[in-house]
Amino acid sequence: MTTLELDRHDPDVRPARRARAAVVRMRGLGMSGRPTLAISVVTAGAILAAWWAATALQLTPSLFLPRPSEVIHQFVLVYKNGYAGASLGAHIGASLLRIGTASLLAIATAIPIGLAMGLNRWVKGILDTPIEFYWPLPPLAYLPLMIIWLGIGEASKIALLFLAMFAPICLSAQAGVRSVSLERANAARALGASRWQLFLHIVLPSALPEILTGIRIAFGVGWSTLVAAELIASTRGIGYLIMSAAQFLATDVVFVGIAIISLCAFGFGLAVRLAERWLVPWKGRD
Amino acid sequence: MLRIRNATVTFEGHDGRQVHALDRVDLDIEEGAFVVALGASGCGKSTLLNTIAGFLPLSDGSITLNGREIDGPGADRGVVFQKDTLLPWASIIDNVALGLRFAGIPKRARRERARELLGLVGLADFAESHPHELSGGMRQRVGIARALATEPDILLMDEPFGALDSLTREQMQELLVSVWHRTGKRIFFITHSIEEALFLGTRLIVMSPRPGRVVARYELDFVKRYVETGDVRGIHLDPAFAALREEIRQILHSDHHQGIAA
Repeated sequence: MTTLELDRHDPDVRPARRARAAVVRMRGLGMSGRPTLAISVVTAGAILAAWWAATALQLTPSLFLPRPSEVIHQFVLVYKNGYAGASLGAHIGASLLRIGTASLLAIATAIPIGLAMGLNRWVKGILDTPIEFYWPLPPLAYLPLMIIWLGIGEASKIALLFLAMFAPICLSAQAGVRSVSLERANAARALGASRWQLFLHIVLPSALPEILTGIRIAFGVGWSTLVAAELIASTRGIGYLIMSAAQFLATDVVFVGIAIISLCAFGFGLAVRLAERWLVPWKGRD
Repeated sequence: MLRIRNATVTFEGHDGRQVHALDRVDLDIEEGAFVVALGASGCGKSTLLNTIAGFLPLSDGSITLNGREIDGPGADRGVVFQKDTLLPWASIIDNVALGLRFAGIPKRARRERARELLGLVGLADFAESHPHELSGGMRQRVGIARALATEPDILLMDEPFGALDSLTREQMQELLVSVWHRTGKRIFFITHSIEEALFLGTRLIVMSPRPGRVVARYELDFVKRYVETGDVRGIHLDPAFAALREEIRQILHSDHHQGIAA
């Protein structure tokens, strides 16, 4: 009691008696950048544990929810013997080839076209109509058209994926151009930049963070479109593997397929994030 | 010689009415001059700077630099903005060397030149840093070095210290005077601070809004005295300084009241 009084009235008495002062930070909005990795790992562990417990207690029939050990066992079997007429590597390879080709085509065309749309009134005016018309459509709605036009082979699936991935990259490249401040452009002009130099040294790097975000979104759209396309019309690919397994009610193989897709999609997402760290380390410090 | 004659700029406002941002301004900026434009927001001082920089065409009148009509931005006029426009992905030295890169100067030569300029603004130790690692005042110094790199005929400064705290601002004013003195560059400087205008300029134009025009002109010698004596406090405490400050405050205030009445 008396020490408290002292603290309050005598300005020379500093609260040094407290063993250690708490480190504080500004109260933020939302999660304000605090790490969430530990929470995520614990959540993943909890979900796996719940899965294991539900199957160990036989709460559901194995047809609906196979045991984790069954899924791992199936994975080894599928890996050794293949499934539905092709090896596991052939299925994964077919899927990766489709999304890989389509994403390269989409990146190679959507970035220059999007930048041109952001910079030129005529390009924007002409291309806005077809792009705004097709991109809100679900890709599966025009998959039949692709098959009628391009056949059942690889071309129709790659074209479908390309269209699905083109729009987000193209729109993000446009947004990237819009994000260039007039002051930054004027500063470069006053330093003697030609139109081409302005584009190369100012517009392109300024737009890069937005473009990479667009590519990340495009891969998300790409994977869902890919698997859906393979479910409908294919003889190879992870989507086909899942579809075949479902027809025989082989739930454990369906789980194997889902795990592979999730790993692939995660890997691609990680690759784009690493590319961001390497290409645009200044992002967010602007 | 930078010669401005009858410079007039008319915008179309949001409601479709014409806004006279700049009305028949005449101004000459000779070699070595430090011209300051002072006025409240909307008085056309930034408009005037933008026309000299070539960002904005004139509605009427002409601006010539060394006899050549200005039509568009160019490296012969260096610009320093209020908000720094450094490139976040480039190191400080590459930011300073940007104009030299545009001019096709080889990498070694431009980095050497940029290093000299960083020394001039006292940032030699920060050559390899990135803009986000620097304070606001330091970034503006980089902006000055960058604008000087291409050897412009004139430095145009649009409220470059407006966003700085008052202590940093005073340091930056002294640094700018030393840069001006050592390089002999002519400077056109915009501010809404009367003290800053009086301290820096060899010539002062006071501008007034609706329409934006020059309402008073002064020839000043405080900055020359500062260069000779280095005595900042003495200048600020000089009765002549205080008297001019009050006189200009009167001009700006009477305009302001007219504006409110209208």
